Amino acid sequence: MTETLLLGRRAVREVARYPEATIPTLFIPLFFLAVNVGQVSKTFPSTTPFLKGQGYVAFQLPVSLMFAVATATSGLALVTEIDNGYFDKLLVAPIRRSSIILGRLTSDFVRGIGASAFVLLAGIAFGAHIESGVLGALVIVLLAALFGVAYAGFAILVALRTRNVQATNTSFLLFFPLLFLTPNFVPFDRLSPAMETLARLNPVSYVIVGLRSLVIDGWDVGKLATCLAVTVVMGAVLTALSLRAIATYDR
Amino acid sequence: MSSPAIEARALRRTFKGGIEAVRDIDLTIEAGEVFGFLGPNGAGKTTTVRMLCTLLPPTAGSARVAGVEVLNDPAEVRRRIGVALQEIGLDPVQTGRELLELQCGLYGITGRRGRTRAQELLALVGLTDAADRRIKTYSGGMKRRLDLASALVHSPDVLFLDEPTTGLDPASRLTVWDEVRRINTTGTTVFLTTQYLEEADKLCDRLAIIDGGRIVAEGTPERLKGEMGHDVVSVSLEGADAAATEAALDDLAGLEQVISQADALALYVDDGAGSIAEIVRRLDRERIRVGAISVARPSLDDVFLQATGRRLVEEEEEPEQEEVAVP
Repeated sequence: MTETLLLGRRAVREVARYPEATIPTLFIPLFFLAVNVGQVSKTFPSTTPFLKGQGYVAFQLPVSLMFAVATATSGLALVTEIDNGYFDKLLVAPIRRSSIILGRLTSDFVRGIGASAFVLLAGIAFGAHIESGVLGALVIVLLAALFGVAYAGFAILVALRTRNVQATNTSFLLFFPLLFLTPNFVPFDRLSPAMETLARLNPVSYVIVGLRSLVIDGWDVGKLATCLAVTVVMGAVLTALSLRAIATYDR
Repeated sequence: MSSPAIEARALRRTFKGGIEAVRDIDLTIEAGEVFGFLGPNGAGKTTTVRMLCTLLPPTAGSARVAGVEVLNDPAEVRRRIGVALQEIGLDPVQTGRELLELQCGLYGITGRRGRTRAQELLALVGLTDAADRRIKTYSGGMKRRLDLASALVHSPDVLFLDEPTTGLDPASRLTVWDEVRRINTTGTTVFLTTQYLEEADKLCDRLAIIDGGRIVAEGTPERLKGEMGHDVVSVSLEGADAAATEAALDDLAGLEQVISQADALALYVDDGAGSIAEIVRRLDRERIRVGAISVARPSLDDVFLQATGRRLVEEEEEPEQEEVAVP
């Protein structure tokens, strides 16, 4: 546990010292929020039934939150350390290899909290109202950060398997289809039948729906439980695969 | 430790594609030794170190480090060794102090003890003034010294240094040598790989020469050089026929052995300086025109030449030579 905390503290310090690595991950979600809302806010005025009296920014806010937290930052940091030799230094220390991954995920959680809080505040500034209140806002930030941790396992896995910076960097692109095969612009029932089927099969949809429920509906335990379950299962699978990859690294 | 610090038996590593990086090497290194592993790039030095450090499992064979089986108990081996690999393993975002305190923490030296130990090591490697600067601002020599310090946080029984002076300027190289000697005086066994002849000669109690994954010679530097003979006369062929030149000098008085290279002959003789005149006479008589002829004491490069048939070229390590112009 101590080694995970030590390595986590180091990774968090790294995030703080490299703001240039974090700023683009905040710019992109704000950009999408502004562009998407700008393009369709007249199509979906606040009288649209699924908006329940809010502006379209409230509907889009969870999507931007996902963009803010789903990054390849930890994978890139890891593959850079594989490249510069520091990873070997850690492997030869008398620590559990899992602590190297868990340390990285700690920084993903901290970064996720900061990034999702920032985007949430921006969304509120653009006119979104959090129906579930302050506590709901805190839960949104927490759930989004947890999703960031879950998703980080994918880039870490690619980093360990490929040991290649470019491959790890482009792994982020996989998130786009996952994010767009969802009810990101309209609810499930407004999608075409084929699209709806795909969206219902995509676990990321349920994370968006869960976060959106806190913004628009208030407290919907069913949607929140599904959101949390999907995040936990996804995180457990990707983290387990990453832990297996590091345990078998050069073995 | 009563058992050897490092013991390897038939250690082998074959990579994908059938590349045999290390081929059945045997090693016995006693506690307290500075042992050198000398060889060119790609000889198998780093692969051997990585196997002994538990970073890479052997394909076959066994190894014990600090009395512990590498394959059976790698975690215990890691607790007893310090490692500075060829690629300086540092996190450039941290300061030197932060890196050493983290390293202390990973070895269970936490809190005030960790801070004190980090401070001691910074002073030891002369980085106190730069301790709170980020590592990315350090010079190559400073990074190498910090890397060395990070391998010492837990006072290891055995220290592995993989090409610790590669890429360093001469002054930094001497500093690292001094540090290695100092570490060794505290009882730490040092396993050092190098491609520098002078480094192996001056720093190591014993050494092994590795080439193509095999150990081709092993002993103290003095014994290895002594086995070569007394003097070595190098004859630069510069287009002359090697076989004819060798035949002309075949029964030279005091000739112990001849090693033929692509563009030179190395003649190992009793009395180098005394043989020059006779060598020149014979070549002149056979109308063989060669380039420079030089005399030197046998070096580890000659040992390498004898063992592998080629030189471990390194210009800065050339011994002082007396050159004789040939008509």
